[in-house]
Amino acid sequence: MIIMGVIAVGVIAALAASYSPSPEAANLDMGRTHGDVSTAMGSPILGDPAAPVTIVEFGDYQCHQCYNWFHDTKPSISKDYIDPGKANLVFVDLAFLGRDSVTAAQASYCAEEQGKYWEYHDLLYDSQEPQIDNGWANKERLAAFAFSLGLDLELFESCLDSGKYVKRVQYNIAQAKAQGASGTPTFVIVGPEGQQEKIVGAQPYSVFKQVIDSMV
Amino acid sequence: MIHTTRLVFSNSKYALLASVIFSTMLFGLLLASGYVFLEPSVVGHVPGGSEFGLLLIIALCFLSALVIPMNVFRVIAIKSSKRKMGGGVLGSIIGAASGACSCGPIGFAVISTFGSIGATASAFLTNYEIPIRVGAIAVLLLTYYTTVRSLRIECRVNQQFD
Repeated sequence: MIIMGVIAVGVIAALAASYSPSPEAANLDMGRTHGDVSTAMGSPILGDPAAPVTIVEFGDYQCHQCYNWFHDTKPSISKDYIDPGKANLVFVDLAFLGRDSVTAAQASYCAEEQGKYWEYHDLLYDSQEPQIDNGWANKERLAAFAFSLGLDLELFESCLDSGKYVKRVQYNIAQAKAQGASGTPTFVIVGPEGQQEKIVGAQPYSVFKQVIDSMV
Repeated sequence: MIHTTRLVFSNSKYALLASVIFSTMLFGLLLASGYVFLEPSVVGHVPGGSEFGLLLIIALCFLSALVIPMNVFRVIAIKSSKRKMGGGVLGSIIGAASGACSCGPIGFAVISTFGSIGATASAFLTNYEIPIRVGAIAVLLLTYYTTVRSLRIECRVNQQFD
């Protein structure tokens, strides 16, 4: 009887352990959506989560058009819309350009574990080199970026080596495709009433201003 | 050289062909390279640091619009062989492909369809976009030179036989 009881407790404990959320899942709001877009597996929200407008960016860390948008357009959007709380931004990976694109996307989530997703994201776009898969975003360089941000390197490397965020990146790619994104960067601007407008390409600030202003 | 070029484009059909080639190629390449956007409204944008790429596109389109009609003239008007036309068409295609395969829909379609082989090809065309375009321009310049030379010779021969 005692042995049976021990076995039963053991089985229940094992089942409970297998269903408990992983550290990765624990940080995610699985029901998070913006308009029609599921951003549950995307980046943390940059800016005020309660902002009336959300900019969802589908991007690749090796894409030079994303680099152009990051440097030419995003600073003005941050200054005029994100910082004052009028809009927020979510980055969803559409990592398709090369093998290092996927690794870089995973690395960004390893940085998120240590609370530095956006710092790491910005560092990747600041460090992007024009050539795809030339080694600028290989595992060694990704670890070096983490080191320069003061992340726990051992933790970061074990996270990256484990491949624990592969499925998260794959989910994001599938979500981008489901939204009809066929290149990077592609943006979906979601207004307060749930209205959506798609902007394809690294378009200038004036286009974003026009779309966002028409929604609020 | 200028005289021969003027001879071809004095015919309005070839001038029209040149303007169609130039405008179509320019529009297509500006669109594929992210200098022009159609949605949500038509807008042109030259990001900082990409001015040289834009100049190469304009040069490529101009040379294609110059070389292809001249070769068509050679084939139709002088009944010359089609063999030498290859340089102009090849130069145009190579130059166009180098810019089209990157983050845009064409690169995305190539990578989605052909997987890692498509990704490698697309990465190559993106990584060497500027040298490939310069090479394509060199091919077109060479084709222009040989076309003008052969037109001069062929016209002279035809005049002697007339």
